[in-house]
Amino acid sequence: MPRRNNERPGRRQPHGRTQRQKRMPGRNRDEYGKSFRCLHCRLDVSKSAPGTAHRNHCPNCLSSKHVDRSCPGDRASTCHARMEPISIAVRGDGEWVIIHRCVGCGDLGSNRAAGDDNALALTRLAVTAIRHLGSPLRIQLAIPPE
Amino acid sequence: MSSDKNGSPLPASFSCMRCGISVSTNTPSSRIRNHCPNCLTSRHTTTREPRTTDGRCGARMQPISIAVLRGGDWALIQRCTGCSELADDHVEPDDNQLLLIRLAVRPLAQPPFPLEHLGALWAAG
Ligand SMILES: [Zn+2]
Ligand SMILES: [Zn+2]
Ligand SMILES: [Zn+2]
Ligand SMILES: [Zn+2]
Repeated sequence: MPRRNNERPGRRQPHGRTQRQKRMPGRNRDEYGKSFRCLHCRLDVSKSAPGTAHRNHCPNCLSSKHVDRSCPGDRASTCHARMEPISIAVRGDGEWVIIHRCVGCGDLGSNRAAGDDNALALTRLAVTAIRHLGSPLRIQLAIPPE
Repeated sequence: MSSDKNGSPLPASFSCMRCGISVSTNTPSSRIRNHCPNCLTSRHTTTREPRTTDGRCGARMQPISIAVLRGGDWALIQRCTGCSELADDHVEPDDNQLLLIRLAVRPLAQPPFPLEHLGALWAAG
């Protein structure tokens, strides 16, 4: 289980955008190579992961990049903005699926959780809805308002 | 009667594909209702978008999870059983609260790793 370090100071490059442009010659390697750089926490992420053929999210912060359009691995989107994890869904076989929303265009996407994803980050995401119980639910469950 | 972006009138009610009940498109929040408040299902042809782009498949969209919007409100995440497209929709005050809660707690009820191992890390924040 990776350490919890989503908010590790100094992880995010202060001039990330400029540096990214300087790295343009290496971009093909990033897009189609064996690893990618997380748009959120800047971690270098290997594309091969236990349990999935197309790793498209960062195992540390669970962020992704909008590259697929209709199905995982099609690489048909030209948006390329960051996709933030917004929810965990559970498939019929019990597998966890991360739901992402693109911060650029609002599109939704999904990706199976990988075996080496940060378990604490996954669990945080899984309890987000419970942490934000609306007032009708609080009344129904007899939970006092915050 | 409300109308969509192209000005064509929307029906005042629809019948749910799953449980068959007749559902008013009006909601307490005055947003246009897309999903059945009883079973949280909708048809994959949306009233939220102009008819011109509405090449949706018409299959049943089933609720798969809950997300939290910026303001803290709940959104329902649905996946189409026909084409697998994802959609999100506002949770309405008269939606079936028990189904909403079941969706919200389902991941924790079926974790892919033992939560016992997380206890100390979780407590540490
Ligand atoms: Zn990351
Ligand atoms: Zn996008
Ligand atoms: Zn229904
Ligand atoms: Zn569909």
